[in-house]
Amino acid sequence: MPDFFINGQPVSAAKGQTVMQAAEANGFFIPTFCWHPHLSVSGNCRICVVEVEGEGGGGSWMEIACNMPVTEGMRVLTDSEAVRARRRETLQFILLNHPVDCGICDKAGECTLQDHHYELNGLPSVSTIPKVHATKYFDLSSRIVLDNERCIVCSRCVRFTREISKSNALGIQNRGDSSLVRPVENSNFEADPYSDNVIDICPVGALLSKQFLHKARVWYLKATPSVCPGCSRGCTVDLWHRKAEWKLNALDPRENTAIARVTPRENPAVNGPWICNKGRDLAQIFERPRAQQALLKGQPAPLADAIAAARRLIGEARRPAALVSNWGSNEELAAFKAAFGDRFECVVKSDWHAMPGERLEDELLIRADKNPNTRMAQQLFGDEPRLVPVDADLVLVWGEGASFANLPRGAKIVLLGSYLAPENGHAEVFIPVSIQTERAGHYTNFAGVVSRFEPIVRKKDGVAHAEQLFAQLAATAEAIA
Amino acid sequence: MSSMQHLLPEFEQLKKRYPAGFESSLTLPCLRRIQKERGYVADEDIDWLVEYLGVPRIQVEEVLSFYTQYRRAPIGRWHLQTCRNVSCSMRGAERLIDHLARRLGIQPGQTTPDGRFTLSHVECLGSCGTAPVVMVNDTYHENMSAEKVDALLEQLK
Amino acid sequence: MTGRKLLMSFPVTPTSHLLSEVRARGGYETLKKVLTSMTPEQVTKEVTAAGILGHGGAAFPVGRKWSVVHLNDGQPHYLCANADEGEPGTFKDRWILENAPHQLVESMLIAAYALQVRNAFVYIRGEFDLPYRRLQGAVDEAYAAGLLGEKILGTDFSLDLVVYRGAGSYVCGEASALITSIEGKKGYPRNRPPRLTVRGLYQRPTVINNVETLSNVEIIVRLGAEEFRKVGIAKSPGTQLVSISGHVEKPGVYEVEYGYPLAKFIYEDCGGVLGGKGLKCIIPGGISTKVLTAADIATVTYDHKAMEAVGSQVGSGGMVVIAEGTCMVRLLQVMLRFYHHESCGQCTPCREGMGWLHRTIDRIVAGKGRPEEIDTLVRISEANDGTTICGMGDAAGYATVGIIAKYRDEFEYYIANGRSKNGGRLEVDAIEREVAHA
Repeated sequence: MPDFFINGQPVSAAKGQTVMQAAEANGFFIPTFCWHPHLSVSGNCRICVVEVEGEGGGGSWMEIACNMPVTEGMRVLTDSEAVRARRRETLQFILLNHPVDCGICDKAGECTLQDHHYELNGLPSVSTIPKVHATKYFDLSSRIVLDNERCIVCSRCVRFTREISKSNALGIQNRGDSSLVRPVENSNFEADPYSDNVIDICPVGALLSKQFLHKARVWYLKATPSVCPGCSRGCTVDLWHRKAEWKLNALDPRENTAIARVTPRENPAVNGPWICNKGRDLAQIFERPRAQQALLKGQPAPLADAIAAARRLIGEARRPAALVSNWGSNEELAAFKAAFGDRFECVVKSDWHAMPGERLEDELLIRADKNPNTRMAQQLFGDEPRLVPVDADLVLVWGEGASFANLPRGAKIVLLGSYLAPENGHAEVFIPVSIQTERAGHYTNFAGVVSRFEPIVRKKDGVAHAEQLFAQLAATAEAIA
Repeated sequence: MSSMQHLLPEFEQLKKRYPAGFESSLTLPCLRRIQKERGYVADEDIDWLVEYLGVPRIQVEEVLSFYTQYRRAPIGRWHLQTCRNVSCSMRGAERLIDHLARRLGIQPGQTTPDGRFTLSHVECLGSCGTAPVVMVNDTYHENMSAEKVDALLEQLK
Repeated sequence: MTGRKLLMSFPVTPTSHLLSEVRARGGYETLKKVLTSMTPEQVTKEVTAAGILGHGGAAFPVGRKWSVVHLNDGQPHYLCANADEGEPGTFKDRWILENAPHQLVESMLIAAYALQVRNAFVYIRGEFDLPYRRLQGAVDEAYAAGLLGEKILGTDFSLDLVVYRGAGSYVCGEASALITSIEGKKGYPRNRPPRLTVRGLYQRPTVINNVETLSNVEIIVRLGAEEFRKVGIAKSPGTQLVSISGHVEKPGVYEVEYGYPLAKFIYEDCGGVLGGKGLKCIIPGGISTKVLTAADIATVTYDHKAMEAVGSQVGSGGMVVIAEGTCMVRLLQVMLRFYHHESCGQCTPCREGMGWLHRTIDRIVAGKGRPEEIDTLVRISEANDGTTICGMGDAAGYATVGIIAKYRDEFEYYIANGRSKNGGRLEVDAIEREVAHA
């Protein structure tokens, strides 16, 4: 374990670490653009240059920290006058041709270049020549727009497709200041299910999400931790939505609760700093038309009436069965077990399956099980494949994905669901229940890691929280038993 | 199927000269060979080559865009590459290029309408002692002058 | 005579490069001696003792580079000859490739033996045509004669040599870019560490040496280090192939013994300045070296320390002679245009800086320059000094700073008056007259 010094302070470094890694790990600030802890070292931006004091009377030298192995006793300065002067020069170069688009660029407010320029330079350009122009709006894919003028050719996006998603879909064409990030010509980037991660890692506003383009300034939004329900990996994510104090008065009120965008929430135990594109599109899952009205045999009814009707059916049932949702939270599943575990034949249902064309499984994040909480559901209700008994007279269906045609002919159906669907009208009783964005809870991923999600919006009054609902529905059943 | 498939046996022979695991190295020589055959590298050539070598397609695309000698579209039959670096400029390259441009009626970077000549600027060809130099396709023509270049153009049909 | 000859030591004829004639001159006898009576360590020891410095421009001690490669480390080693020769003004390696390719081949065999290399490469720039054909011809001859391939000369030593053609990129003359090109990719230089002698071609220990440097290896082993060191001077042993061009009466490749008086070389051996004009300055070793005025070179000897003492370098041996009346502003413009075209674009100072330098000098030449732009050129150059992945940024900086340091007045004149102090002249009057008469 080499020990060395940063700004006079002793620091321990693990064997083989670079000065950048050791500085990071010990809370010392060294600016970066091209370096990323999960990507190979490129060493092209030159902003991370530090000064190393000479040994034995020799002069000090300066070199990039991201590629500098730590040696025993070396004395590194991250903020000397020489380092500051070098950073200013480097920023002069980076900003030479960079368009000052901040006023119209989505990255403003979370832009590394803005931050570094403000902190480390703040000086006007000394250039007397016009800026070099390049493609302003390049269709990198149907999801991502590329602005080559803003691009500082740090190659993070290229390295990501080479080393992480392994789609080898991005490259840098030409050379010199004609260099352009471009996608491979066979549409591999369109097919890369991890493509949108390059938006996060781009240190400037060169790579932007089309679905988020010009939607909102980031400082009007807050990030609420959640868990992606797209597969059993359970990547932790941030759901971005309008801050309460910045709510919009004049437009559709749904703008204030809608998910503006989804980004990864860094998690060493599960997904690192990445998510797949399905996770970016969670609004497409959560913001489908919601069921907000209880139904009795397809007719609207007050929630209380529907609950009472369901309770009666459950109480009268001789051979009740249940299809358990593997989208239920740990808390909801526990409540279901407590309420129905003894009396009901509980079968775990797979609410979602892979769509045509969707990647099934890979070595990075994506898993074949397209549901967030199969692990806990199976833990509570068994993991052998089972069918609803053919002689069941009541089936309590919780969640999506059940085909009524496959259920026993004579059984009455009580359906608990969140989204508008034709089946809602075919059940004896339909009770709308909340989704994960309306409550707090936990999922357990395929490996047993438990992650928490938090609400971004209050549920509507006509909708029930399943966790409390189960106890209500079971109340009479217990009395009978 | 690319019409360059007949080069495959040649590439197999080439591969034998390299150590195992050097397939990626074949990228440059194979592209050069394809270009020699076709006059440029076509998109279909890239597909076929990528599969044969087992390299990412983006690598081949990048290589084609980075090196000045590769072309992805046809040019004139005779490629007149004129150096205008220091020694050549000091021995008359600029006037020579002006002369050529006037003679052919095209600017550097362009091709004559009959497809016979393409005129290009290139950087130092390593022939400074015999400046000015014009490289026609693969051949260096050294110690050039306006008169010599006129005579040369007559011979290039 | 420009001193003793080691490389250009035979009369060049249309057939003198062929194996039969090379053998008649004693070619491949040294290889036989090495393979039958020397160990790899002994060869390296001889090369180190000879004190030879690299001839590609960096002048790094060759023995020291070789010694980093660990013998018997259980992994493949590679040897690459750098025949990219793209430095403007330089065409001396070309002489070896065209006229003495077997000198290179035999030397590479000896070097490969010393470094336990089984596969060697010559990276030759894509534009070279005759040099490539001569070299490939020599390689084919060597294979046919059992001098390359398996079990050479009946010993256990085998070597395969591939002549790898580039495709048009000056930066591929940089060692790490060269091997990245051999790997089939863009010629992007690499950051060090790791040194290429530790992790190079396909991450294996690799030695890259200039063609001329390697071609001296056979000579060193044949003569022995002590004999070799009798040529040249102590700190710069041996000779340098100098390619001289520009405003000079007798351009061409000359072998100059280190320590030879530079002024004598230019004025006598090369016939002096074209048309009898006065000498303004020279670019001593490729455009990436700082210019030296006639006064600077009046008494300097041609060797590394002496050239450094007058503020420049031996460099690549590409000497360009510049006559009185040449416009240095336009000349710098040509150079900056070149660097801009050749920047690989990887690192910030060079990618942005080369364009900035070029566009700024274009403004000055177009008569739109501003006084502060001279200092901007210097500032950009200094910001590229030691800050880039490879030496190209530095090179453009040296060229710029060197010319501005000696000829600032020309830049100031151009900016103040919107035109050149020297009529924008790059050619010498004599040439213009010659063409008019022909």
